[in-house]
Amino acid sequence: MQDSAVAEFEMSEYWYINPGWEEKVEDFFARKREPEVVLELEIPGKDFNIAGKGSSEIKNLLKRLGVDSEILRRIAVAGYEAEINVAAHSQGGKMISNVYDNLIYMQFIDNGPGISNIQQAMIPGYSTADDLVRELGFGAGLGLPNIQKNSDALHISSGLNSPTIVEIIIFF
Amino acid sequence: MTETKYFHALQILTDNCTGCTACVRVCPTEAIRVRDHKAIIDSYRCVDCGNCINVCRFHAIIPLSDPLEIIHQFKYKLAIISSSFFGQFTEDISYEVAKQAVLNLGFDQVAEEAAVTDFMINIIRDYIRKNRDKRPILSSNCPSVVRLIQLKYPSLLPNLFHQEAPMSILTRYFRDKISKEFGLEEKEIGIFLIVPCIAHVTAVHQPEGAYKHLQDGAFSIGMIYGKIRDSLKELQNNPPSIETYPKGLTWALSGVQAELVDCEDIRTLSVNGVENVMEILSRVEDHYLDQYDYIVLRTCTNGCVGGCLNVENPFVAMSRIKKMIKEGQGRDFDFSELYELYQKGEFAVVPLAPRPIMELDKDIKKAIQKMKQINEILIMLPGLDCSACGSPSCYALAEDIVLGKASIDDCVVLLKRHSKDSEEVENQDKDKIND
Repeated sequence: MQDSAVAEFEMSEYWYINPGWEEKVEDFFARKREPEVVLELEIPGKDFNIAGKGSSEIKNLLKRLGVDSEILRRIAVAGYEAEINVAAHSQGGKMISNVYDNLIYMQFIDNGPGISNIQQAMIPGYSTADDLVRELGFGAGLGLPNIQKNSDALHISSGLNSPTIVEIIIFF
Repeated sequence: MTETKYFHALQILTDNCTGCTACVRVCPTEAIRVRDHKAIIDSYRCVDCGNCINVCRFHAIIPLSDPLEIIHQFKYKLAIISSSFFGQFTEDISYEVAKQAVLNLGFDQVAEEAAVTDFMINIIRDYIRKNRDKRPILSSNCPSVVRLIQLKYPSLLPNLFHQEAPMSILTRYFRDKISKEFGLEEKEIGIFLIVPCIAHVTAVHQPEGAYKHLQDGAFSIGMIYGKIRDSLKELQNNPPSIETYPKGLTWALSGVQAELVDCEDIRTLSVNGVENVMEILSRVEDHYLDQYDYIVLRTCTNGCVGGCLNVENPFVAMSRIKKMIKEGQGRDFDFSELYELYQKGEFAVVPLAPRPIMELDKDIKKAIQKMKQINEILIMLPGLDCSACGSPSCYALAEDIVLGKASIDDCVVLLKRHSKDSEEVENQDKDKIND
């Protein structure tokens, strides 16, 4: 993921690691294992009918692997919120779910316009959602905080007029 | 497929089955396969929703219920009628007449589910208020919903309303009462349900969660309807004067039931139809519906009026029942004894064990291997989900292959493509020879 920062833009990034999981997260990035199963899905911008399908698909896939129901719930919530974020705030993007035998690593990569101030975006209740998004019942400013609450690791990198990359790790 | 532990109130008439796969495609738990041109039901996965019965055009999957004659094995015979029964008749047939006609079939007494609706509403509210830590509470009256949760959403089992359904509450109450009143032993009293769906027949013969023996048989509304039709006209000329509870008929309608439970501190949602039920349960799992305190779930259209043992269309039946509720005179059933029993915990049910069907393997590493194999096979399959192979979808076939229950040669589309390819190769070979 370190390669993902695009040099020509002024990028900022945000890290969160669930206390106690630092070593495991570090180990995950250091080992660079190949995922066992990969699921890739396009998320069109402003299409709230499709947004959410990816996390629902992932939940069903992980149910088949016998993942604990409470962990499943966290994955479904974090994934859903991240999908909605791509649909609500960007010009569309994609969701890549990498399944390992002990964790899931989800990447959400959109086509911009980027987050100008990530720290601000992490404050519960803060939202830049437009009227259309609010009319549909989204944009309460709880998306990113909710993702963080359910993740073991969260990394966001973005900048104005650049893509936003949200990466989530949840251990089984 | 060899699991025979679970009884289900349906039967496949193999001679009638054409292997058309219509049932395979409508089964919500993917319990049906067509093998050797005949449908087979996996009894472990079946939830008795009745979809396959409704969709079969060849009369090859038929519902099972008990024959009326079994009532004669008992000294005292009580029938308990499910609310949707009263929506099956034309509007000139009154509630009184329909009820009396059932009594005339040879019962000593007839009671109805509708009598305890108010009581149910009260204990549901009480239960919700005492279990605020579990949100939302899910209705447990529909046996198909309960099975679905055991199979596909086991994490929601604690959210079920852990009390008996109204007809079982009545069974408990009347068995005791009749026994005392007539000095009969419990086993001399036959208590039978008249039910709208096979899930209730299954539940009578294979109760899950009950602490005590409940009913002695279940009759289909359709069968009873056929038997009383002739006597209805006669009774109409001489309407009986018997107790009825039209205000309580709401139990047959999932939407109206939810509205009745809804109050200042309890927010309810009503869901019917098996696809809707599954979507909602999936969202409840993710805590996206925590704003609701109570969700009424029924797998049939409009609730119990949509059950496969009814004779009338669910929308017409619903409209008639609504009319009866509106025009009916409220009569009060004395609930004091029932409340006492409820307070003592007499109606509590045993927490149900999950019956998971989703996991490919108990060991996650093996499950991943199986999933990889499934994905490898899936890429080869045409993705048409045509069911011609006898499995409900290409994914299901891939899974069946990996689990050793099917072969890739079962795919008709691939077979056709291969034969076409080999034909072309043959033709090319011929051309070469001709050249």
